Amino acid sequence: MGIPIYPPKIEDPLFQGYYDGLEAGELRITADAGTGEWIWYPPEVIPGKPDAVLEWRPVSPEGSAYTFTTVIRSLLPGDHKAEVPFTVVMFEPDDAPGVRVPGLLVGAEGVEPRCGMRLRFQPVQAGDHKIAGFAPVGVMKE
Amino acid sequence: MIRGDRIAITGVGETPFLRKGEEGVMKMMTRASLAAIADAGLTPKDIDGYISNKYAGHGSDEVAFAIGAGEKRFCATTDSVGGTATSGQALQLAQMAIEAGLARHVLVPYAIQSTKPGGVYGFHAREPQKAGIEMPVGFFGQPTYFATMANRYAHEYGMTEEEQASIPMTYRAWAVLTPGAQRRDPMDLEAYRQSPMISTPLRAADCCLTTDGGGAYVVSAIEEARDMPHPVVSVQGLGLGFNNWPQGVLFTQTPCTYDFPGEVSAKLAYAMAGCDPKDLDLAQIYDGFTISALVQTEMLGLCERGEGPRFYAAGHGMPGGRMPINTSGGHMSGGYVPGMNLLIEAVRQLRGQEGERQVPDAKLCAVAGLGGNNHSTTILARS
Repeated sequence: MGIPIYPPKIEDPLFQGYYDGLEAGELRITADAGTGEWIWYPPEVIPGKPDAVLEWRPVSPEGSAYTFTTVIRSLLPGDHKAEVPFTVVMFEPDDAPGVRVPGLLVGAEGVEPRCGMRLRFQPVQAGDHKIAGFAPVGVMKE
Repeated sequence: MIRGDRIAITGVGETPFLRKGEEGVMKMMTRASLAAIADAGLTPKDIDGYISNKYAGHGSDEVAFAIGAGEKRFCATTDSVGGTATSGQALQLAQMAIEAGLARHVLVPYAIQSTKPGGVYGFHAREPQKAGIEMPVGFFGQPTYFATMANRYAHEYGMTEEEQASIPMTYRAWAVLTPGAQRRDPMDLEAYRQSPMISTPLRAADCCLTTDGGGAYVVSAIEEARDMPHPVVSVQGLGLGFNNWPQGVLFTQTPCTYDFPGEVSAKLAYAMAGCDPKDLDLAQIYDGFTISALVQTEMLGLCERGEGPRFYAAGHGMPGGRMPINTSGGHMSGGYVPGMNLLIEAVRQLRGQEGERQVPDAKLCAVAGLGGNNHSTTILARS
């Protein structure tokens, strides 16, 4: 399996906390600082609360796959033929129902990806930066 | 309340649909518009209303100038995406303008140049969430997004490879009968399996085509239509469904990623038309991908939720089937001018003009349009 190389374009600080977390080996997502409610992806405005503030909080590294796909032909801009195939999973952290973090399925040789498969966060080095990765932990969630 | 049988589609026209064309969007829109106006038995001077599409990149001033039109009395722009804009919202705006007496003959033009640099995925790359979170892990492009929906759907309802293949095979069977379709080579299961995999489980054959092409139609009051050249094809039902999920989060964070607002739009359209799915003679369903066409087939009530794979595998949408679907090949085999070529095909079927692929005695046709977080259902009838 390959690793897609496409550096994040962080033109504003909206996603800085996410990448800071990856560098620190931690999966962080955004929450309403006032209520603690998970708000993901980070929007420019929290719905109905233009004065509210987002903060980055660590989320459970364990969860399950909502869905997945194995990319055979990368549609990223540029030439990425050498980086396929790779499998993208939508990770749902155990303590953040409804939140989904896209990441790379790793450490899964011989494992057929499945919706509901149990996963654990594992950052992956992709060129000069880290991306979210998730490794199977064995037990399937029904 | 908006009512049915007040407006009619009186003229339709299109350019050739090509894998790579020589002409730009403006020229294709002009050619399609002039063809539609002529089909309606009108001249450009008769056109006094315009519905533009914000994704076409050209407004009504440019179109009116290009076709040599008369005085413009009404113009508006659709604020939805894909098929919802062209086969749903544009008709809603046209009806409002005509019933308010603001316009007599409204032109709806659209063209797409899929081969333009930047391609069809360019607008996704400009979404901050996609550039910031998704693209770095390789999650990018509609086939990839819709592939994750297909895997989730299969997890929840079951879908074999053969069942999935039966969807594009259905549309291809119609395209074989369609002279202007881009893909007319017959496709059986073996040919389907030869199609390159893009993102599991979607092969190229599961995706809409890359098309340079345009289409247009003219909308007139029903009373006017009765004195125009063709059998009257009226808008009997029209429903729009929206959710408020922005494009940046649409393919990942919605509770069910394939839960398009199609049931909402279908319910509104059937209520307005005073009919239900069993009354339909045929349907045109926005087939960006097998999974999205499948789910909309269910949302229109053509089969039960979760039964779409079996419905297609049984051949119900095929030529000779009980519910012909995408009778010019749809977007997967006919051409991809979002929503537009589906609507044009519906009109011509209801006029009885489609020769070898004509659905016998077609009187009522649903046209489903999908566009990201929005959906339209339009019920057209031969009056």
